[in-house]
Amino acid sequence: MMQEQFKVDFDSDSGIATIWMQMNGRANKINPAFGAGFKPAFEAALKHDGLQGIIIASSHKDFCVGADIDFVYETRDPEKLSETIAGFHQNLRRIETCGKPVVAAITGSALGGGYELALACHHRIALDKPSVQIGLPEVNLGLIPGGGGTQRLPRLIGLQPALEVIAQGQIVRANKAVSKGLVNDLAKTNEDVFEKAAHWIKSGPKPKQPWDESTFQFPGGVQPDSAMGRQLFAGGAAMLVKKTNGAFRAPEAAVQAVYEGSHLDFDSALKIEARYFITCVISDQSKDMIRTFWFHKNTVERQSELPTIEDARIKTVGILGAGMMGAGLAFICARRGYQVILKDIGQEALQRGLSHVKTQVETRMRYLSADEKDALLGQISGTLSVDDLSECDLIIEAVFENIDLKHRVIKETEAVIKDDAIFASNTSALPIADLAKASVRPDRFIGLHFFSPVEQMPLLEVIQSKQTSEETLARALDFGRQIKKTSIVVNDGYGFYTTRLFSAYVMEAAQLVAQGYPPILIERAAAAAGMVVPPLKVFDEVTLSLAAHGFEMREHYDGKPLNEPGVRLVRALVDLGRCGKSSGQGFYEYEGKKRVLWPGLADLTESQITETDPHVLLKTCQDRLMLSQALEAIRCLDEGILRSTADGEIGAIFGVGFAPNTGGPFAWCDRRGLGSVVESLDGLAHQYGERYQVPDRLRQMAQNGEQFFPRV
Amino acid sequence: MSEAYIFDAVRTPRGRGKKSGRLHTVKAVDLLGTALRGLQRRTELDTSILDDVTIGCVTQVGEQGACIGRTAVLEAGYDESVPAVTLNRFCGSGLEAVNGAAAKVASGFCDLVVAGGVESMSRVQMGSDGGAIWDPTMAFEYGTVPQGISADLLATLNAISRKEADSFAARSQLNAAQAQARGAFKKSVEPVYDQNGLLLLDEDEHLRPETTEDSLSQLRPAFQMMGTQFGINALTQKRYPQVERINHIHTAGNSSGIVDGAAAILIGNASAKDTYGLRPRARIRALASVGDEPVLMLSGPVPATQRVLRKAGMQIGDIDLFEVNEAFAAVPLFFAKELGVDLARVNVNGGAIALGHPLGATGAVLLGTVLDELEARDLTTGLVTLCIGGGMGIATIIERV
Repeated sequence: MMQEQFKVDFDSDSGIATIWMQMNGRANKINPAFGAGFKPAFEAALKHDGLQGIIIASSHKDFCVGADIDFVYETRDPEKLSETIAGFHQNLRRIETCGKPVVAAITGSALGGGYELALACHHRIALDKPSVQIGLPEVNLGLIPGGGGTQRLPRLIGLQPALEVIAQGQIVRANKAVSKGLVNDLAKTNEDVFEKAAHWIKSGPKPKQPWDESTFQFPGGVQPDSAMGRQLFAGGAAMLVKKTNGAFRAPEAAVQAVYEGSHLDFDSALKIEARYFITCVISDQSKDMIRTFWFHKNTVERQSELPTIEDARIKTVGILGAGMMGAGLAFICARRGYQVILKDIGQEALQRGLSHVKTQVETRMRYLSADEKDALLGQISGTLSVDDLSECDLIIEAVFENIDLKHRVIKETEAVIKDDAIFASNTSALPIADLAKASVRPDRFIGLHFFSPVEQMPLLEVIQSKQTSEETLARALDFGRQIKKTSIVVNDGYGFYTTRLFSAYVMEAAQLVAQGYPPILIERAAAAAGMVVPPLKVFDEVTLSLAAHGFEMREHYDGKPLNEPGVRLVRALVDLGRCGKSSGQGFYEYEGKKRVLWPGLADLTESQITETDPHVLLKTCQDRLMLSQALEAIRCLDEGILRSTADGEIGAIFGVGFAPNTGGPFAWCDRRGLGSVVESLDGLAHQYGERYQVPDRLRQMAQNGEQFFPRV
Repeated sequence: MSEAYIFDAVRTPRGRGKKSGRLHTVKAVDLLGTALRGLQRRTELDTSILDDVTIGCVTQVGEQGACIGRTAVLEAGYDESVPAVTLNRFCGSGLEAVNGAAAKVASGFCDLVVAGGVESMSRVQMGSDGGAIWDPTMAFEYGTVPQGISADLLATLNAISRKEADSFAARSQLNAAQAQARGAFKKSVEPVYDQNGLLLLDEDEHLRPETTEDSLSQLRPAFQMMGTQFGINALTQKRYPQVERINHIHTAGNSSGIVDGAAAILIGNASAKDTYGLRPRARIRALASVGDEPVLMLSGPVPATQRVLRKAGMQIGDIDLFEVNEAFAAVPLFFAKELGVDLARVNVNGGAIALGHPLGATGAVLLGTVLDELEARDLTTGLVTLCIGGGMGIATIIERV
């Protein structure tokens, strides 16, 4: 027999009832079982004679991780959702109006609906451990809090701080949660949490939420229906649009729910929240985001199809090249417990790299003591001599993208490292098999493609060449997990997956410029589609001369010349010395912090367009930017570079900033309809040639009415 | 349909809209009462014959709330039988009151109506009435922005430079100063006194005659910080993706002044004229209101003018003098560019940049101003138009009789 999902203990000495959430599975979730089990447990707790107060606690590692995503993903039924939410609201309202003080013992993460449960308690005590995370991350899945979070949090901590937490989907550690007011108190150990909870109950607190008092005012001094309140919402809405370009509906819905709800009494406010929550749940956008950010991400991170290893045998990591990437890698490796040897050929570059690490430790790890920081920095040593790498178990080269140089570095390093050590290249495009030609042990040779800035970017693209052994792959994947990256594994080929996708994006933008589309509309089109960075801006940042070098590489690997308007434009810009941001001019002109599109681009166009309506032009640009990326992703899948569509979605969004609101390039195709995708590409191919040629498989899928993912 | 005649028009002087302004201690109802009393005295009106009083007022909260028109009617000592309505078409309210009154008398449903407006901007803060315009959904769905940003956007889209705007503002100050000096406003201004009969203000207070284009060029753009740092400019991208950067040309010096003031106009039909022996100064030839694009917001005077000309069966060249409200310098400049109007016929006695813009009253004030000047120059036809919040426009054509 299954154990009960909620258990009530009662201590008659103290008069404290403890409700233990011990739901089936590994975590407590807000689902129908919660609805069915919590209520009788809570009512049973209330029935005890001499009851002084109630502690809500978890028997699992986490307090409660929120709503059951399977249920949310599958439903499109507003009526059913409305009933479910009303039931949850009633449970939470019962907690805060039961007449006894109720405290949440947050001994593990309280997220989404789990934190909303804690919000309905009169008091929250969190365990002060880095693993304890607290917050309302719903918008990251295209949703908003649906358990009263948009109403209780503003009434608890004030409108502005609550809007920030909710609209940004913030998750914070316990210590930050207490400073933000998300929880009331911290405790060092589990026992302390309960001791403090009992102590709080004994102090005889009033079992009433501030928002249930007739004299309630929002904390922080700003009331919703005031000049300051109106400005807060107007300013907040503008800041949000500036950030999201209107491509993300959930944060907008969250702001709207807070705005409308804050003008009303609490019970009416909950109805408002429920409406906006339902709107989000039944939207295409949340379906696409949940599929990718929940299901695909979990699938990719589980790595169930990939080789594993008991002991990856990696303790010391050697990093070649102390530039931004090398130094960043040194920091993240040391931070996760590795010994690091950072090598460069120049003393100055090495010093710069080491001081970059120091800055990272100072800014990102403020919570460490001075001794701890020293210890961390002590894990990293710098060297100019390749001989010092002899103890390394893993080498990551992050030297300049030149195959001869890389070959030289591979040879000289392999000469000194242990036989068992893995050599990894952080190349962003060069085929691993070609690099491995310089290696005497290509089975222990692998591609580890990191993204810049590596301290922030969550993706690791692992490239397995035909010769890379399964064991090497398993060890590399373990390393990726240790440094907290989300890894996708792809097969070898020039540009792998992410670089090809990125290149399709920026080159389509260059193509549009060359064909006479107004550059500003290209940038705006990308932003409105949800792309994280506009293409011409990011093209300037990665530098045009590198791209021009890349053209030659591609010509080499494809065996045919590249001669398209976009390619000619980039070459022309490089010839003019407009190599991008680092040279102070590219697609943009740079002056201090200001950046303006270079008016001279108009003189470099090869054709003119007759359409003048900016909205029509924008739509065309948007279509082409998205279509060309989707097409490249499909080609990568067809060619076997990509091993799964899930990898494709995760790689696109986490690696190169593909529009997160769409769920990824494959989801984007599904949502548009493959028939429509094929039709548009055919049109473009007719007009502009094979660059837009539809792969047979896509045409087939479209004809059969298939999709990449099942419809929801 | 009967004629709609203007029998007389009066206004209070415009006081600077801050604590140091000389009308700050005067309640809004007393400002409006001053205008209503002045109108009654000058026309020797038996107020019991009035069918209605229509009053424009934008910020209808606090002392301007709860139908201030009716309270002012009582305050002014009008007959208790006189009703009043207070309306809000934002900056077009004063002219809307006139146009509504004109429509009432022309249709014959009413014979004699007082139209006017009031705004004490020093006492009732602009925007303090809240409203659905503040709902975040407006930003999300439409991308509407505060007016200053719209004004800068209007300038950017139409290549109106800071220099042009400053030059126009300097002209407004010069025209207004010269008009005041020669007593052009005297005829219609009703001085404001305290309850002991001590004079508070008898002429417009907001003018800065020492202003030059050069001195204006020193002022800091008023809406740049709001637009760039607070992300407001980004809201306009949805509607105007082609604008890479908004050129923030407007300053406190080339935008309308914040002031206190009120106005009242007596409007009636032929029957009223004949029955009560009233002498008309002008007739209202045509009127029009339009909705326009709400993000740009301030382009309304152009379509409003086009529509009112069409209704009147007139051409732009038939108009002798224009009053185009100087909410921001870009508005009249855009108007003149777009319709090919010579600036020499626009705001010849200055405008709201120099004289101030008491929101709910301005439309009625401008109507009186253009009528006075038509008489002074012995010209016939005047057109008044204002841009309006939310993307609207209003226009009225009058003709001397």
